[in-house]
Amino acid sequence: MGKPNLLNGIRVVDFTHIVAGPQCTRILGDLGAQVIRVENEQGLDSTRTSPIKVGGGDGINRSGMFEYFNRNKLSITINARLPLGLELIKRLISVSDVVIENFSSRVLENWGLSYEEMCKVKPDIIYTSITGFGHNGRDREYSTWGPTAQALSGLTMMSGLPGERPAGWGYSFLDHTAGYNAAIAILMALHYKNKTGKGQWLDLSQIETGMVLTGPSVLDYTVNGRPYRREGSPPGNRSRNPRVAPHNTYKCIGDDRWCVISIFHEAEWENFCNTINRKDLLNNPKFITNSERILNEDDLDSEIQSWTLTKSPEEVMTLLQNAGVPAGIVQNNEDKFEKDPQLQAREFFPEVLHRDAGEKFPTDGFPVKFSHTEANIRAGSPPLGADTEFVLKELLEMEDEEIATLYEEAAIL
Amino acid sequence: MITKDQALEDVLILDLTDEKGMYAGKLLADMGARVILVENPEQGHAARGIGPYYNDVPDINGSLLFWYHSTNKESCTIDISKPEGQQLLKALVKRADILLESFQPGYMESLGLGYKNLAKINDKLIMTSITGFGQYGPYSNYLSSNLVSMAMGGIMASCGYDDIPDSPPIHCEGWQGYATGCNYAAIGTLAALYYRDITGQGQWVDASIHEALSCTTEAAMPNWFYTKQTPKRQTGRHHGIQPTPSTQYVSLDGKLINGFDIPPRTMERWNALLSWMKETNMEGDLENDSYRELIRNRVRTGPQVLEIVSQITKFIASLPAEEIYHGAQKIRLAWAIIRSPEENLNDPHFTEDRNFFVDIYHPNIGKSFLYPGAPYSFTETPWNIRHCAPELGENTNSVLIEDLGLYEEKVNNLRESGIV
Repeated sequence: MGKPNLLNGIRVVDFTHIVAGPQCTRILGDLGAQVIRVENEQGLDSTRTSPIKVGGGDGINRSGMFEYFNRNKLSITINARLPLGLELIKRLISVSDVVIENFSSRVLENWGLSYEEMCKVKPDIIYTSITGFGHNGRDREYSTWGPTAQALSGLTMMSGLPGERPAGWGYSFLDHTAGYNAAIAILMALHYKNKTGKGQWLDLSQIETGMVLTGPSVLDYTVNGRPYRREGSPPGNRSRNPRVAPHNTYKCIGDDRWCVISIFHEAEWENFCNTINRKDLLNNPKFITNSERILNEDDLDSEIQSWTLTKSPEEVMTLLQNAGVPAGIVQNNEDKFEKDPQLQAREFFPEVLHRDAGEKFPTDGFPVKFSHTEANIRAGSPPLGADTEFVLKELLEMEDEEIATLYEEAAIL
Repeated sequence: MITKDQALEDVLILDLTDEKGMYAGKLLADMGARVILVENPEQGHAARGIGPYYNDVPDINGSLLFWYHSTNKESCTIDISKPEGQQLLKALVKRADILLESFQPGYMESLGLGYKNLAKINDKLIMTSITGFGQYGPYSNYLSSNLVSMAMGGIMASCGYDDIPDSPPIHCEGWQGYATGCNYAAIGTLAALYYRDITGQGQWVDASIHEALSCTTEAAMPNWFYTKQTPKRQTGRHHGIQPTPSTQYVSLDGKLINGFDIPPRTMERWNALLSWMKETNMEGDLENDSYRELIRNRVRTGPQVLEIVSQITKFIASLPAEEIYHGAQKIRLAWAIIRSPEENLNDPHFTEDRNFFVDIYHPNIGKSFLYPGAPYSFTETPWNIRHCAPELGENTNSVLIEDLGLYEEKVNNLRESGIV
């Protein structure tokens, strides 16, 4: 503690749900923005009902997935379908810098909250929308989940063993990535607003945030005419660019324990053979240069695996890294949290008080450290509507009577 | 044509990164920042030595990996390992807003170019260091690679096959680990830029690729934090504590379909799916009330679910992939074709309607090529390509003469002594 946050004074009205949108506002919140989730029980964020529960409790305020993606945020419950509710939302927008949502295309517009309407109450608002396909184009009404977007973007096909069906991604990588791109876009728009006083509408297509991660493969087609669908695609854990060997996963002692080794230079190869006490490999004509190692990659990998099978992945990594050879453990969630000394040294898993359970639980830190400022986790996720009073009284400076009317009319819940 | 502003057009960036950090500079350059690559005079940027190459011919100016990641960047060659090169870099730092680098921790400092020294020259400087494991800690000197980063960060533990015995965890090809590190590096850099706008204070930004990936594994960490469970990887679908049915289906034309929401979670989508299957008499006995009951109760496992999956498998196998994809999406089922990256060049939603792919002219080849375009659209300050990647040293003269005010003779001397 002690260093200032980076986005102090920035207020975000957050209509997001599931992962992509909340990932973006999690970042803004970690950086110090005040993020106010606008929720209501009818259109509950389904993450609130996820099966991972915090502290053995139950109900919509005990979801572990919700806690993970919504720390540092506030929650206000508003019924946007009532005129008074909509009026309240507009009042909130009028004192905010950013509005963000990841509904289907045009949902917010149908509520009466188009970008133009927002500009009427806050001319320099930065409005951010995240959808699968973007807000324009013939397929804009189509919907995506992470796996849908990954499949269309090409990223599913690029992950797998050659000759097999794609393994794809075992989770919604593009929910994270869409959130990252939205955060980048908002920060750029904030810089532009600092210079010119102008806001704008930032529109993101989740699929396109994946398509930008396939650049060299697309160019191999548009420049060289080589389609991605061809023999040897995808290459599994071997490397085609640069084409080097060894570069793969190797099985170790234990149940489902693996390490990776990736060697790019001759010096690393020599260090590797010396470290595993296999100087014979250095003189073996099958492995004498990178070109030979590529030609005999299957044999090379089985030689290496015969060594790794006698070691734990931790031993493999430590031995090889100490000898200047790039190697790593295939770490799962337990490895990262319980054993990884690097994450521990950088205090990557701070604890935060869960607001409903009243106990502290670990969470991720922020993966960037700053010399003069800090990103931090100041509070757990909000129980549904827990900050309604605070927002109305403290931020909007509403009188008790006015608030009572909102309750009576069911505009706040 | 109205020329719009660019969000970062007032920002000057020195980019000293290798392949770990190349994507961060692209994100900023494509939104208007002036990014000067400071390259080694001999080999140039590390990505120049990595394929695929134009016409498959390895060439310092022909790497498609470099082309893609260096749009809008300029190239100035400076050997920063030599004192005279260090002086030139310092002169540039005086004028720069941001410096990006991805050397091993301590290397810049060993040249007298660490943050403390550079901040003395320019206290508004934002220096962003992108490394495998961060600037300090027991692994900070470890060597990373894209594969190592995806193993250590926990990506691979969740990705792979449940139907191929003894198969390894799998990483996705294409620099995804480094790109995720760069997304966070860009976030950190831009947040620091915002802070500088308000306070005038620059700073050092320490971006760890390991940490960026460690928080990019969706349910894996919450599963450990709250229930101490480890999800198991499954072919082509989410990792799970409990096994779930396959989501990969084969269409009539042999393409793979990613089925999602099978069986559908709402009665509305179930009825729509049945009507669609009935159009070609492919509904089997799914109209039976017991299935309706199962949908109503949101049952996700068991023999009847497998029956549904088996009938949908037959249905998908009876139609071409494009028909399955659009038919499903029209009834709000988020199914998709598992496409290869370039197959989106044939999708009019992305090409005709959204102009996602952009044609970039390469003057030295005399040809234009289509590139993937913007990850976001801005109404006031659009993403924009001004020019293709530079040849090695293309802008050395203009940077040294016009920006630093050196005489041409001095530049020639520096060139002869191998500094630039």
